[in-house]
Amino acid sequence: MTAVGPDAAFRLNVAEGRLWLQHCAGCGSHIFYPRVLCPHCGAADPQWVPASGRGVVYSRAVLHRKPKPGTDLPDTHAIVLVDLEEGPRLMSRLPGVAADDIRIGMAVQGRIEQTEGGPIVVFDPAEGAV
Amino acid sequence: MSIGLRGGAAIVGVGTAGLGEAAGFSTMDIQALAVREALDDAGLSLRDVDGLYCANMSHVFPALTTLEYLGIRPRWIDSTNVGGSSFLVHALSATMALQAGLCDVALICFGATLRSSAGRMVPAAEQPIYETPHQPRYPMIAYALAAARHMAEFGTTRAQLAEVAVAARGWAAMNPDAFERDPLSIEDVLGARMVMDPLTLRDCCLLTDGAGAVVMTRPERARELRKPPVYFLGGGAASSNRAVSQMPDLTVSATVESGARAYDMAGLGPQDMDLLQLYDAFTINVILFLEDLGFCPKGDGGRFVEGGRIGPGGDVPVNTNGGGLSFTHPGMYGIFTLIEAARQLRGEAGARQVDAPATALCHGNGGTLSHQATVILGTGDTL
Repeated sequence: MTAVGPDAAFRLNVAEGRLWLQHCAGCGSHIFYPRVLCPHCGAADPQWVPASGRGVVYSRAVLHRKPKPGTDLPDTHAIVLVDLEEGPRLMSRLPGVAADDIRIGMAVQGRIEQTEGGPIVVFDPAEGAV
Repeated sequence: MSIGLRGGAAIVGVGTAGLGEAAGFSTMDIQALAVREALDDAGLSLRDVDGLYCANMSHVFPALTTLEYLGIRPRWIDSTNVGGSSFLVHALSATMALQAGLCDVALICFGATLRSSAGRMVPAAEQPIYETPHQPRYPMIAYALAAARHMAEFGTTRAQLAEVAVAARGWAAMNPDAFERDPLSIEDVLGARMVMDPLTLRDCCLLTDGAGAVVMTRPERARELRKPPVYFLGGGAASSNRAVSQMPDLTVSATVESGARAYDMAGLGPQDMDLLQLYDAFTINVILFLEDLGFCPKGDGGRFVEGGRIGPGGDVPVNTNGGGLSFTHPGMYGIFTLIEAARQLRGEAGARQVDAPATALCHGNGGTLSHQATVILGTGDTL
């Protein structure tokens, strides 16, 4: 049987619809991206725990593409960095929000979205968020 | 601690070649021309070179390919590659190697033909795999995210970012080697095509061909050569991440640490610097680096650059060659900070010459705000 490393374990969870993070018993930090050692204290064997999916937009940038004939790609492509409630930051997108409506500091909720390249973690505005 | 490196080596030759467009010539061709110019500048020959420092984006073994092309057999080579800041690290490492006796004449060189080989660029092999599914466009995504965060946190405006591009163009207008020399206004920058909100085309560096070379040796020998030595006074480097999403605070770069290390070694502070060469891949970089190098408090960088303060006639000369924004940017710019600082400190900068500078701070950024390296240079009066 093949061992499941940190990256594969994260992706297996995402494929099952779960956003899980590693948690370090040594220092109590949550860890992303997945590793075999805690980058905060060096302890080995971080454990997988469920993440709340709650986070806040830390920054955002919007690529303005030159329109390409024959494609239905949107002409803007917004990328965000989200600070998760547990601490780690990750790059993602807000597929349901127009680029101009994404605000730094807005509360968001993670979910798994199926894409051509496989399932990925994206975010929506949090319930009741302003 | 590292006091031994202050004044431990000097830049004795600088050269450039293939700036702008070098169609028909390879990376190694234009690099060799820059090397030849730097050695002529020093009054040395290829036979004197016994230390070699190389980094580029096209070769896995750039030093090996370079020594083969040049027909030299250096006894010490180093291809440390941390992005565009590599060459400032090389200046620090070369000073160590010269002091340790590993080599007597160190050659730092770089070349790239990004413009004339457009479309044949190979992306870096180790892109952050947790970022790429979201289709970020590197490297500008990192700088757009940093700029947006800086604007949200400190009220920095797009017009303040534009000041950086306008100042660079003002310097470039006086540099016959600069790629873009036409007048540029704040309105031109703000009205340029939006590329990655909040950055327009004019907030982004050029994409050119170009090569640069720097020759260093120990002070005793430097004083016997053709040009006034430009002494290495201090250097430092710092890094905490490769991927921008792993950067702890997008408004504070590791420059805080690299700069402090360089100041400490030089025994100097920001108030002692006569001119600055700050790697301006994007306008936000200069604002971040002015803050992180102690020229203004964190968050005040936008206000600091207002009113043409870093342009010609301003009281803080920054990127006097026109920088990556208007002079040249062949993918990695760091070596050009050393070259321009040396020319300024020797008083060879022509129409753009700053009045009798004794010190210069060179700062390089590598990757996507991933690595920072600072080098302080000075004339013989600063020893």
